Formats: sequence, C-alpha cells, structure tokens
Amino acid sequence: MSLLLDRLFDGITNGCVYAIMALALVIVFRGSGTINFAQGELALFTTYVAWWLSTLGAPIWAGLVVATVVGLVLGAGIERTLIRPVRRRNDMAVLIVCLGLFTALNALAGLIWNSESKVMPSVFPNGLEDYLSIGGARLYFDGLGVWLVVLVVVGLMFLLFNRTRLGLHMRAVANAPESAALSGVRTGRVLMFGWGVSGAIGAVAGVLVTPLSPQQLGLQTMFPILIYASAAALFGGLDSPVGAVVGGLVLGVLQQLIMGYVGFIGDTLPQTAALSIIVAVLVLRPNGLFGTRQLERV
Amino acid sequence: MRTPIVLARGSWPHRAALLVLAGLVILALLWASGLAQFRVSQLTSVFIYAIAISGLNLATGYTGLLSIGHSAFFGLGAYTTGILVMRYNLDPLSTILPAVLLCFVVGFVIGLPALRIRGLYLALVTLAVGVAFPELVRRFESLTGGARGLVIRRRLLNPPPWSGFGPGERAEWLFWLSAVTLGAVLLLVHLLVRSRAGLAMVATRDNEIAAAASGVRVAAVKTTVFGLSGAVTGLAGCLFAMYLAALSPDGSFTLLKSIEFITGLVIGGAATRLGPLVGAFAVVYIPYLTANLNPANVSQGQLSGVLFGVVLILIIFLMPDGIVGGLSRLSGRLLQVHTPTPLVQEENHEASTVSDSRDLTARGVQ
Repeated sequence: MSLLLDRLFDGITNGCVYAIMALALVIVFRGSGTINFAQGELALFTTYVAWWLSTLGAPIWAGLVVATVVGLVLGAGIERTLIRPVRRRNDMAVLIVCLGLFTALNALAGLIWNSESKVMPSVFPNGLEDYLSIGGARLYFDGLGVWLVVLVVVGLMFLLFNRTRLGLHMRAVANAPESAALSGVRTGRVLMFGWGVSGAIGAVAGVLVTPLSPQQLGLQTMFPILIYASAAALFGGLDSPVGAVVGGLVLGVLQQLIMGYVGFIGDTLPQTAALSIIVAVLVLRPNGLFGTRQLERV
Repeated sequence: MRTPIVLARGSWPHRAALLVLAGLVILALLWASGLAQFRVSQLTSVFIYAIAISGLNLATGYTGLLSIGHSAFFGLGAYTTGILVMRYNLDPLSTILPAVLLCFVVGFVIGLPALRIRGLYLALVTLAVGVAFPELVRRFESLTGGARGLVIRRRLLNPPPWSGFGPGERAEWLFWLSAVTLGAVLLLVHLLVRSRAGLAMVATRDNEIAAAASGVRVAAVKTTVFGLSGAVTGLAGCLFAMYLAALSPDGSFTLLKSIEFITGLVIGGAATRLGPLVGAFAVVYIPYLTANLNPANVSQGQLSGVLFGVVLILIIFLMPDGIVGGLSRLSGRLLQVHTPTPLVQEENHEASTVSDSRDLTARGVQ
C-alpha cells in the first residue's frame, strides 16, 4: 500500500511538471498553430541562468524570478524576430526554425556553462528527512512544493484566460485570428505575449524539476520532459489548456505505475511508452480527449 | 542583362555537357581517392550522409512529409547489417538487400499515419520513432548488444576479392563503394522525380486536395514515398555500419542525427537534386572545421551546435531553397536547360490540374 502511495506521489509530482510544460506548449499552439520543439531547450537555458545566479550567491528564489523574466523576454523575442516572419510561408519553415533554436540553445548553454552536470539547488527543502508521512508513504516537501507551484501557475493561467482582457484577446486569436484582427485585437502582440508566457512557464518548470531528477542539471535534462509534455498535450488535445493539465497528470501517474508494475516495459522503455501514447492518440483520436474537432474546408 | 544560353534537353550540346561533367566528377573522385587516408574516410562519410539525406529529401523535400525520425532508418539499416554480419556470418554486401527491404517495410508502416495526419502531427509521429529507436536497441540487448554497442570484426569487413582491393585497402574500397552507391541513388532520385510518380509527389506536397481531385492516389504516394525514403536512408545506414564497424545506440542513431540530416537538407536545398550532397559536405565539414576553433575548455561539438542552429535559421530566412536552390536560380540567368515542346503537351495536362501550375514548375520540376 505504501509503495503504491509512494509511486502515486512520484507520479503526481512528475505529472505536475509535464502538465505545466504541456500547458506552455498548448499556449503556443493555440496562438501560432505550431508545436514549439524548442520549448524544452528554452526552459533548459533559463534554468541554467537560475543555476548560474545561484553560484554567484543569489538565493534560488531570486534565480527563479530572473529565469522567469528571461523566459518571458526570450519567448516573446523569438516569436517576434524568428517565428513571425516565416509563419505565413508554411508549417515546415516554422518547424525548421524551431529545430534550429533547439540545437542552438542547447549548444549555447553548453558553450557558456560547459557540458558537465551541475548540482541545482532546490527552491524547497529537499533533505532526506523533509517529508510528510501519509499512510506509511513519504511525501517529500519538494514534491509538495512542485504541486503547489503548479497549482498556482494553473490558477494564474485560468485567471489570465478567463478574467482578463488580454486573456480574452488570446482566446479570440486562437479561435478566429482574422475576426479577432478585424475587431481590433492586435494579434501580433497577443501571439508575442503567448510565446513569452510559455517561455516563462517553461522557466518555472525547469527550475522546479531539475533538483528532483537524479542527474541534476545537464544538457539532456529537459528533452525527455519535452517528449512527455508533448505526449501529455496531445493526449489532452493540443488546443485545450485543461486537457494539457489533465493529460500531464494522467501521464505522470501512468508512467510510474507502468514502470512499477509492467515488467516488460519496466524502466528501460520510458520514452517509448510515452511515445506510443502519442502515436496511438494521433491515429485513433487526433483531437485528444478535450480538443476541439478540426474541420477542414475542401 | 545577358540573355541565358538555352540548351534543349537531349540535344547534342546538352549531352556533351553532361558527358564532360561526368568526366570531371570521375577525375575528381580519382584525385580524391589518392588523398591521405583520413581525408578519404572523411569524404566517404560525406557520401554516406549524402545518401541518407537523399532519402530524407524524397519524403521531406519532394513530398512534404517532414520527418524527424530518419535517424531510426539510418540505425535500422546499420544494425541490420551489423547483426547479419556478426551473428549470421553473412557477407557485408549481401546484407544490403535485406536491410533496405526491411527499412522500406518499416517506412511504409510509419507512413500509414501520414494518411490521416499531416505536417506537424506527422513530425510528432516520426519524432516518436526517432526517440524510440535507441531505447529499443538498448532493450533488445541480446540481439543488438545493448548500450555496450555492437562491434563488427574488421576482418569481416574486408573488401571482397573480386573488387580488386587488397585486405588492407578497406578505406579505399568503402570510398568507391559509397561513391558509386551515391551516384546510383542520385540518378534514381533524378529519374523518379522526373517521372509521373515524381509529379504526383510534388502535387501531393503542394496541394493535396487538388492532387487527389486530379487522380493522384495520395495515400499510395505518401506511404510508398515514406517507405522508399526510409529504404534509401537505411542503405546509407548499411554503408555506415561498414564504415564505422562499431555501432552504439547513443552514438550515431539519436534524434540529433535526424536533426543533422534535416540541417543538411535545408542547407543544401530541399527538393533539389544535388542539395543532399552539398548539405552532406556542410554537415561533415562544419563540425570538423569548427573543432579547431573551439576554446580548449569547451567540450567538442558545442560551437558547431550553435553554428548549425544559426545556419539553419539563417538559411530559412535568406535562402529558402538552400545553397543549391539559390545557385541554380543564379545560374539560370546564364544557362537554361529546357525540355523540347512535344512532351509539354502531356505534362501540361497534368500540371494544369494542380491549382497553381507555375508554383509546381518553379519549385519542383525544373
């Protein structure tokens, strides 16, 4: 029983991280209609910024705030300077720009801070003794902290989308870009803001998740998370923020249970398992669980 | 401005020009094969990359199916050769056919989702394949050697006696084998693209609905092209296994290899005949040339990674057709090869059914 709870807690913690990364992907997708393959590396880069500040003696909280701001600026800047000019051309151009960013950001982080793994300080107490005991299972404080932060981020996003003018504009641009533009929404700025927000969310996710993982901060840290987040986003339906969060949590828990109880897959094929979900969803139900049906005019 | 010289396709000046070009290529190869062994090996890897990128070009360049998973075909070809040579004692050359067939079948199957999904989503499926491949190799350790890798004994890779190369001349043998294979692949791609099937591919890319409406069997085109594309990249994988003789899942068959292929394709020029070759030169020589520039404290590859990314983005912005596309547009001002009229009757019929026939001819069928 306690083992099951342990796995459940771990699953929810991972799931929370996938959920907000998926949320970041969904925000970009709703606006720009593309999956930002560079999302993970953007988060990686900002996480390195936070780590770098912490080595200079800044508290990691400050690092988190700075990383978030850097993520916001980088995300918005990328949309304005690199994505928007090629967006009208075709899907492939945008994807290739994203792949270019993927390679360049990853290598740039390695170039600036070299490619050895770093020890990332945690925002929350993460000693071996810092846990709550629930039914014999250990709920560590850093895991709990991740849950809370994710809850806050999701809550903020909910407020942004549903209670603010900007959020209304974002939804309008996602649903009907031309009508939105005709009614005076400045679509360009809204898209830029969307990329900025997802860059910021990525930074939060990166700073929170790296202290949890055993390898700490390395150049490969964020890529698997991006894969899981894409699976989660697809699972929930690429254009649904609720779907992204639900998808992330389900995937996180499912993954822990599969790793724990399905011997054949075990812990050797984690990404393949996640990717099988991607393929299955795409083939069987391309709009995911919560996504809107795409209609195509012939 | 000067008016360009116009050559009719199939006329004797055109044929003579082609013959002279072929002669020059052979001379260049003869010269290159006499270089130091290190250089010869480097060129061999360029040829192998060029074959792999040609495969990608079929799917991504001509048919518009973006694949981020071609590293898996490359790996599948390489591992098929490796396993057949090491575990079943087959001759390396005879492993090429089964490997290529296997890659074709796998490519065909992966192409199946392309019938329902496209663009971005297809890219995700191929991403899945690309990421899963190294994990699967590690999982099926008994067959593949797992994370420790699969080493092919050098003795087994010696040139066959009929080739005229001695046992010690493995590098030269592979150089010529890769060069000839590349030549054959480029020729086949050229013929395929100029055929009806090539027109169908380009039409599918440019406007799927219009293509279907004018009788192109879009589903068959997509799956078959994906299979072919995988087969060609798998063929490159076979040669790569003979070239490297040591395969490991994390070494050469990760997603980064796919990104290298795409980078090469975009730099060289998607949907151009010689783009893959030019791109392969870029992919092999940019890291090599920048390795010397790296500051000592930076681990290898970082600077070239940044450069790759920047070049990729710059090319998209400045030269959407890649180097070959850009150059051929420039050279078009001096020399044009033009297809004599009788054929145009038939081709017009096909071209005008696509919504924008000008676009078709400009981008795909020169």
